[in-house]
Amino acid sequence: MAPFDVTYIFLFIPKLLSTIGVTFVIVGGAIVIGVIVGVIVALPRLYHVPVVKRISQVYVSFFRGTPILIQLFLIYYGLPELVQGLGINLSKVPVLYFVVFTYGLNNAAFFSETIRASVTAVDRGQVEAGYSIGMTGWQSLRRIVLPQALGIAVPVAANLVIALLKDTSLAFSLGVMELTGKAQSLGTITQHFIEAYVALAVIYLGVSIALEKLFGVWERRLLRYDLANHRLRDALLWRRASFRRGGDAIGMGKEEMSA
Amino acid sequence: MTIDLGFMWTAFIQLLSAVPVTLLITGVSVVCGFLIGAVIALIRMNRVPILHPIAVSYVTFIRGTPMLVHLLLIYYGLPMLIDAVAKEVGSGFRAASIPMIDFVFLAFSITSSAYMAEVIRSGLLAVDRGQLEAAHSVGMTTMQAMYRIVLPQAFAASLPNLANNVIGMLHGSTLAFTVSVVEIMAKAQIVASTNWKFLESYLAAAVIFWGLTVLIEKATGLLEARVNLYNRGGVA
Amino acid sequence: MIRLSQISKSFGEVQVLKGIDLTVKTGEVVAILGPSGSGKTTLLRCVNYLERPDDGVITIGDFSVRCREVGKRDIHQLRQKSAMVFQHYNLFKHKTALENVMEGLVVVRKTPVDDAKKRSIEFLKKVGLGDKLDSYPSQLSGGQQQRVGIARALALNPEIILFDEPTSALDPELVGEVLEVIREIAKEGITMLIVTHEMGFAKEIANHVLFMDGGNVVEEGSPDDIFNNPKEERTRQFLQRLSREVSTHSSINLVATGDENHG
Ligand SMILES: Nc1ncnc2c1ncn2[C@@H]1O[C@H](COP(=O)(O)OP(=O)(O)OP(=O)(O)O)[C@@H](O)[C@H]1O
Ligand SMILES: [Mg+2]
Repeated sequence: MAPFDVTYIFLFIPKLLSTIGVTFVIVGGAIVIGVIVGVIVALPRLYHVPVVKRISQVYVSFFRGTPILIQLFLIYYGLPELVQGLGINLSKVPVLYFVVFTYGLNNAAFFSETIRASVTAVDRGQVEAGYSIGMTGWQSLRRIVLPQALGIAVPVAANLVIALLKDTSLAFSLGVMELTGKAQSLGTITQHFIEAYVALAVIYLGVSIALEKLFGVWERRLLRYDLANHRLRDALLWRRASFRRGGDAIGMGKEEMSA
Repeated sequence: MTIDLGFMWTAFIQLLSAVPVTLLITGVSVVCGFLIGAVIALIRMNRVPILHPIAVSYVTFIRGTPMLVHLLLIYYGLPMLIDAVAKEVGSGFRAASIPMIDFVFLAFSITSSAYMAEVIRSGLLAVDRGQLEAAHSVGMTTMQAMYRIVLPQAFAASLPNLANNVIGMLHGSTLAFTVSVVEIMAKAQIVASTNWKFLESYLAAAVIFWGLTVLIEKATGLLEARVNLYNRGGVA
Repeated sequence: MIRLSQISKSFGEVQVLKGIDLTVKTGEVVAILGPSGSGKTTLLRCVNYLERPDDGVITIGDFSVRCREVGKRDIHQLRQKSAMVFQHYNLFKHKTALENVMEGLVVVRKTPVDDAKKRSIEFLKKVGLGDKLDSYPSQLSGGQQQRVGIARALALNPEIILFDEPTSALDPELVGEVLEVIREIAKEGITMLIVTHEMGFAKEIANHVLFMDGGNVVEEGSPDDIFNNPKEERTRQFLQRLSREVSTHSSINLVATGDENHG
């Protein structure tokens, strides 16, 4: 390994930034898939649909209960094997698709819990007040429950997105040239590993802080009615404390109360 | 659909031999992380001069960067540092003689410490100030008040987050495969590539992690029910 | 006019309402008294269909539903005829006072926004909150929140307003302002059904008083009948206990006020 040389850090940063697009594609794609699948997975539990609700629970439990790294390998290597029998050939599909798909399914589990928990966290009296002035179920969901649930969900979702960003570093293990993959190859070529990883850390840190600030602005807008900032303060505290799974402040991962 | 259940069972059995390594990594990083985290939390809550801003930057840095990067920095950086120091003091010690897994322990303890610091801090902040005052009012010393009143409540409040972090470290321990420590993930890779059965091997690994995670969740649930007895019925 | 007949409701095994009959004439104020757990809240919630009665008929104005064979449409239509003032206010937390009052007008009654706004301001002024239009519930005291709740109900001009212990969650010093507002609207001939523990208030504004216990109406009559010559033993006992509690409460309040002056 070559002796430490600070100038390499500055040299590497722009080189790494050239691959940040790939990282963003993974993050963005996973959010889109995660939200769509997350809503689908949350619905049967919110509406207590028998059987389907069980399937949702197992889905969420599996994706929250196993490491993302194993999920990546399982889907990248396992899915083609699995569907081969059905006559589908996935061997030509680029690895990035598998990666985005896996992070998407993984996040769907977390998003669905966030959605479910934040909708459940809205005070029952709010819906009743909606009914009492003659709203239909749909009207009170759309005008009363969802806006308040969004205020509760966004701080948790922020946590998830930042965790997702950091998790994308694992995509290198399947050979995807995102930030971490690039850092590794720069290290190997120049033998300046430490400088490469310091540069990498700086970039992740910058993006994390930027995301945190952006979400902060959004949260304050959404929760502007909560003037004592109770929700906001709690959300921030809990968010900082939680590693990946987030949202216990609103009872995520807990069984729903009997309806 | 072609899952070879017979082989999945074989893989499962083979993977079990790597479970202790995974649990060891998890255990060490959780315990060391908690201890370091407690120190950081105390520094932050008492606003210790000089150390306070350092603690804040430390937590921000660790939380803002992936666990994998911590591992890589320690894995590549520390030996270089150790060898340089050894050379300086004329010692014959070489970093190469340090077992790989120690780097993993150190790196993951650092990762875990930053999150633990926040868990502890938020747990303590969750305890109403009035509780400490009430303890003083019945004549307890601050020490007694902490032990008997504040800490039990803080523990109850932070239990869910604590469990989350333990699970986070358990799942994170799979990263050790990048520095060739043979925990469950690395073992699964070996089993997969030697038998050319990827689906079954990773599925078996997933099942083990799933089981361990559910176990931690259930245990936490039981513990929570006990610890939170005093909270019962408060549906405010 | 609203008429309930033979309303019954069970939660699991427990029958909470055992065939309640009740008529409230237009412009009348009916007060419901009764011990805790007697089913007062449940009855009120049934009128608004926040709780689904098992059996009986609910008639509000010219609209009538049989609880056994009720459809979604009917429930929605029935709800539009009444409005509720909740014990814990239940203001929409993410909306200002003005938006809270406008919500029902705009979304349910499809009133044009400008008209809804004008009307809402008018009602907020009426409950004494003309200067709090843009405040969020979290910025209002309990008494102010409850007055917004009343304005929200009034603005819809329902056939009847249901009050469930509208002052019982309030600090003692805030009770007066809310009762004052209710008193005012009672004078205007708004039909009201009120569950309350404020005996003096019930005596003063109610045209008719019901005493409930164990899911039954034990006794009903004019305020004078019920408060001064109760016929049933249970009513008598309840009223006695209530007046004792009220006097203990006020002595506690005196002590609390004294404390505040010192601190
Ligand atoms: N959702 C519910 N599920 C089960 N039981 C209920 C439910 N709501 C009310 N009950 C029960 O029905 C009975 C009547 O309750 P209700 O709230 O109507 O009493 P109330 O007269 O309003 O009492 P209070 O004066 O304390 O408000 C009580 O025994 C209560 O425990
Ligand atoms: Mg009640």
